[in-house]
Amino acid sequence: MSFKTSRSLPHEYTRPITTSSLPTTLPQWKGTEALDILCREDLDVPLIVVTGYMGEERAVEHIKQGATDCVLKDHLFRLPLAVRRALEGKWLREQRRQSTEELAGKAAELARSNAELEQFAYVASHDLQEPLRMIATYTQLLAERYRGKLDEQADKYIGYSVDGAVRMQALIQDLLKFSRVGKQEIEPRTTECRAVVEQALKNLQVAVQESGAVVNWNGLPVVMADSSQLTQVFQNLIANAIKFHGLEKPVIQIDAEKKDHEWVLTVSDNGIGIPAESWQDIFVIFRRLHSRTEYAGNGIGLSICKKIIERHGGKLWVEAQAKPGCRIKFTLPAEPPSKAAPEAQA
Amino acid sequence: MRRTEILLVDDNPADTDLTSEVLARYGCPSHIHVVTDGVEAIAFLRQEGKYANALPPDFVILDLSLPRKDGRAVLAEIKTDSVLRKIPIAIFSTSEARQDIVRSYEMGANCYVSKPGNLRDFVSAVTSIGEFWFGWARLPREEER
Repeated sequence: MSFKTSRSLPHEYTRPITTSSLPTTLPQWKGTEALDILCREDLDVPLIVVTGYMGEERAVEHIKQGATDCVLKDHLFRLPLAVRRALEGKWLREQRRQSTEELAGKAAELARSNAELEQFAYVASHDLQEPLRMIATYTQLLAERYRGKLDEQADKYIGYSVDGAVRMQALIQDLLKFSRVGKQEIEPRTTECRAVVEQALKNLQVAVQESGAVVNWNGLPVVMADSSQLTQVFQNLIANAIKFHGLEKPVIQIDAEKKDHEWVLTVSDNGIGIPAESWQDIFVIFRRLHSRTEYAGNGIGLSICKKIIERHGGKLWVEAQAKPGCRIKFTLPAEPPSKAAPEAQA
Repeated sequence: MRRTEILLVDDNPADTDLTSEVLARYGCPSHIHVVTDGVEAIAFLRQEGKYANALPPDFVILDLSLPRKDGRAVLAEIKTDSVLRKIPIAIFSTSEARQDIVRSYEMGANCYVSKPGNLRDFVSAVTSIGEFWFGWARLPREEER
């Protein structure tokens, strides 16, 4: 494509000029001025400098200023090739820009819809609590005042509504807890896993004593995490290991292994385990593998663990183990190398 | 003995019914006035309009989420009034949000009780408020305010 030598250059750019080649000395203005304009207006228009004579230094100077290529007049046979290359380059940049934009758009859309969902869950569960509190309180009042005064059926029905309301309150509380994990800001600090596990065990003191559970750990590392959220993770995992115990007393083992810049932590037990076909299911909120009469709970613990770990930039999953029981693994970023302290030993 | 005048500010009749019933059961000679929004609460406290002849309350039980004027605004108004600020205020709200609790004390609330979600705890929370504030606590008399 040839280049118009006039001062109307900037207007030309509003149309899809793809390539311009121009001599560096023109009657009205210099080719370098065109380069300036391209640079200033941040326009992606390939520009090929065509000139009668040009030293290597000068050519490099033009390329530095933003010229796509330089062609000497007595080598004009090179021009078609230079134009084609320039056009291909522009096309590739265009493609790259488009896909980057698309990707950014999709990421923003995903973030927005996630935030909306979080907000929805929070508001719904928060606002549902109030009318539900009325139902729970007043069915309980009915039960208290009219038990034995109506008939047996009535007592039974009131009992069902009391149970239903109480259970729904627990579900909503859990839903709120879950959505709070998504709303809370995480402040990862250097955190000693040993202290976190000890805190979790302190919180579970009664369950540990009643079940006679034994919890062993060794070589627990220092990780980058929000310690109260990490306590929650260990607490839920240990509580599960105790709750879903087998015939023997629960024995829980916590191990750590460093892989590149992260730690892989493992919590394994000798309980009833999780069938492999349910390894994905168990992370879905309120998904339970057992009836309420077998095991109490709403099925929120593991969903919360997974969410906390993912918000720390880690992963959490179930892994097969040879002996009976369950093995949960998760990753956490290791302490930044600059401040690395000697590893904590249990 | 002069009876205790209690102002209960809550727009939920289910809560005011139960609260009044529990407080009445608690034996201390008291009279409970119920108003259902913040504007009414302020009018009652300032003995304005239809409340010109109302007895000034010795104690206020205040919900935070109220129509017209929010409970937080009512609390702020009472606690910045040189006369009304001497009346003890118990916040009785469903909210368990830390910022509501902290902000209420910051503004001068005298206690903060979250409304429990079940009958037994609700009754025992209200009973405790009654036992403490109308049994053990000594309140300023009307003429001392």
